[in-house]
Amino acid sequence: MMKNKLLFPLSLIALSLSPVAEANSVRINGFANFTAGISSEESEALGYSDKADFSEQSLFAVQLSGQINDKMSATAQIVSKGNNGYSADFEWAYIKYDIDSEQSILAGRFRLPIFRYSSSLDVGYSYHWISAPSTVYDVPFNNLDGVRYDYSSFVGDWELMFQASLGNFKEEVSGGSSDGSNVITASFEATYESFKMRFVYGQGDNNFHLPQLDASLDQFAALSPELAEELRMNDDRGVFLGAGFEYDNFDWFVSGEITSIDIEDSFSPEDKAWYITAGIRSGKWTPHFTYETRDGNADIKFLESVAAFPAEYQPVVAGTLTAIQMPFMEEYSVTTVGARYDFDSNIAIKAEISRYDNELDAGVGIRGASEDSTIVRASVNYVF
Amino acid sequence: MYKQLLGATLCLLCLLLSGSAFAKLTVIVNPANSDPLDEKTVQRIFLGKEKKFASGTESIPVNQSPDNALRHEFDETILGRNTSQVSAYWSKLVFTGKGIPPKEVMNDAEVIELVSKNPSVIGYVDSSSLTDAVKAIDL
Repeated sequence: MMKNKLLFPLSLIALSLSPVAEANSVRINGFANFTAGISSEESEALGYSDKADFSEQSLFAVQLSGQINDKMSATAQIVSKGNNGYSADFEWAYIKYDIDSEQSILAGRFRLPIFRYSSSLDVGYSYHWISAPSTVYDVPFNNLDGVRYDYSSFVGDWELMFQASLGNFKEEVSGGSSDGSNVITASFEATYESFKMRFVYGQGDNNFHLPQLDASLDQFAALSPELAEELRMNDDRGVFLGAGFEYDNFDWFVSGEITSIDIEDSFSPEDKAWYITAGIRSGKWTPHFTYETRDGNADIKFLESVAAFPAEYQPVVAGTLTAIQMPFMEEYSVTTVGARYDFDSNIAIKAEISRYDNELDAGVGIRGASEDSTIVRASVNYVF
Repeated sequence: MYKQLLGATLCLLCLLLSGSAFAKLTVIVNPANSDPLDEKTVQRIFLGKEKKFASGTESIPVNQSPDNALRHEFDETILGRNTSQVSAYWSKLVFTGKGIPPKEVMNDAEVIELVSKNPSVIGYVDSSSLTDAVKAIDL
């Protein structure tokens, strides 16, 4: 008994003397993007209109992380985004457990790990663009509440990474909501010297609600409950596929990514998107070029069911199917030239000119109001 | 003719010898560390991709401040990219829960002190700062 009492304070002293004690302090890091932009047209495209805007892609973030013990750490990232009135949100909040030097588990809230730049999307300083290509990256799911498993190892000169995650997401989208449950993602990345490739698979049970959409579906249900249910996105399985490559020898780079999102049993058209980008690093300058495109302009679904209806109803059913799906069609591309200038080891200044082409006719689809336009942006990115 | 050639050779030798006496980036470890190290391993350790030496001992890299010319030389020659690219690389890892950049110190003396005290620490200094408390690595 006496011995135990003595041992306990002794071990405490030993702990406080160990080098790990230094790591017990809280680390504070942060980043900020200040972006200004203006479009040639009155109609909004990529978040910009002909009135100069300073908040759409501006954000400020602070990250706090503390070492709990030599295997565990806790991290919170509070992000305040200009397009959300600069209200502060916990975008990341997780506990990380290092199983060994190659494996770790993360539990809490983190970025859904589906894209090449998913995790670092907000950290403008970490890449050459002002913002990652919207055709690929503008999706109605962002943060996952769940767990993530990370594995990384070397096999000879190959660096291999595997990441799997499981969880749920819930997002507010202009006037409505998008959520997913039983979300599973798995990604694999292999790097050999300057070359890197990446593959990802994801799936989830999706729900999407917009007041107007729900009202039309309710009306349609009176005519055909089965078809209305087919159209409704109600715990419907969505599948995400993605592949990416990169060649970067630090003097120049070229990279690209291709993705597809398909929620078959729903009103939502299959979305296919890709981009290719290249740049040259010359001293402090990185001039670059990007072409990106999204094709979410698919055939109207479920029209084959129309034939089963009595002839006098067929035009109404076909018309309604079309009327509900058409507003979600989109097809556009963006071509961007720009440059990054490394002002300091933690500050980058960027400028870009983008040409936005809406491939659908005026008034058609989700971007019906967006005319072809030229968008000019400038940005300052900072990390600390 | 022969003399001239000899003179030129001597001169070259002089240059080479004096060159090595000048500032030279040198990777250092604790004298107790006998793990083999090559440029690729040092690169992996300083980019947080490798967290152990070959023997399985934990590796703790110590960096120099970005204000230091030696840091720029290390980033360019060993890591193969400039200091801004290295800091962009780390910003990606820091904010995604994948890693923490090496601790940064102000000068060679601080690197030598940390390396001499802990067999896990690896750093780099100017060869003119070398002391017996640390072991220089030939890359």
